[in-house]
Amino acid sequence: MNLFERLFDKHSSARTAKQRLQLVLVHDRTEIPPGMLALIKDDIVAVISRRVNIDRERVVVNITHEDKTSKLLVDIPLLSGKDSQAASRAQSETKGPDQRTNSASH
Amino acid sequence: MAGEVITVTSGKGGVGKTTTTANVGSALALLGKKVVVFDGDIGLRNLDIVMGLENRIVYDVVDYVEGRCRLRQALIRDKRAPELYLLPTAQTRDKRAINPDQMIQVCDELRREFDYIIIDSPAGIEQGFHNALAPADRVLVVTNPEVSSVRDADRVIGLVESQQKGPVQLIINRLIAARVKRQEMLSTQDIMDVLSTEIIGIVPEDEAILSSSNRGTPVVFNGKGPAAMAYRDIARRLIGEDVPLSPPQPTSWWQRLFGKTE
Repeated sequence: MNLFERLFDKHSSARTAKQRLQLVLVHDRTEIPPGMLALIKDDIVAVISRRVNIDRERVVVNITHEDKTSKLLVDIPLLSGKDSQAASRAQSETKGPDQRTNSASH
Repeated sequence: MAGEVITVTSGKGGVGKTTTTANVGSALALLGKKVVVFDGDIGLRNLDIVMGLENRIVYDVVDYVEGRCRLRQALIRDKRAPELYLLPTAQTRDKRAINPDQMIQVCDELRREFDYIIIDSPAGIEQGFHNALAPADRVLVVTNPEVSSVRDADRVIGLVESQQKGPVQLIINRLIAARVKRQEMLSTQDIMDVLSTEIIGIVPEDEAILSSSNRGTPVVFNGKGPAAMAYRDIARRLIGEDVPLSPPQPTSWWQRLFGKTE
């Protein structure tokens, strides 16, 4: 850590506090503990990949909170047929079109 | 017209609920309102000592609820303002000595005689908190610019809203403008962004608070410092005056040298 980083780190502790609060409050408000998201992600991956080929490594499950509404945002990149053959041999670099699935919770 | 019940709460302990109750209540009384400050913390009473009235307690609200005295006998008159009273709680009982229905009944009786009933809620979210919340027409949530009290404030705001109590307004207590400027402390804006709740007052950190509770004289009675001014502004906002909310500015070396008033 250089001098600049040390200064920056010290001076932004208020920003760190705000970011940590925003994250923890999303979980407090929805009553979904942070570790639960990993389990939900595993479940979704298992269900979806039974029907279509998805890029398991890039699935993202997040909670967003705007005004009084919370949403579970699930981002599941699909693999095209060609990609999925490649993916079955090794994790391919080429990505299929992203498809965003929203399901409201809370 | 019936009086308004204002509950002061926070979730976290030690953020300044009792100091806020004492000062906002006293400031309202100094504005000519008929006020009772009501200690809601059964078993850990402190509003009496912060107000400097601890030696005058004979009966308390539990005595009234259990029929040992009339409500008038439990009220302690504070002569420093025209119409200011303390309703103390019991020191040797626990939260279950009073239930929410009884709190509503006591407050309904007080409403007939007083303009404002300010309840000092206990910390936590157990029965004492629910007792203090039950009769509320308005809720003031006190928080410090610090992660744990902001998190607890969010939890309390959620509970208040889920019980359809409110409006809920926020008091940011013990703000140190110089540390906010150095980005070492959450700012008023940061807290607003995180909690999205209306702010009714910002009380700067002020050494005068400790000496005022040492003496049992809330700062609004004769203080000229930043906390006294902030509490008076909150009282004026509560009675409907339009007092602009301005985040405190750091004091300059010049003010620190020459501006000391207390």
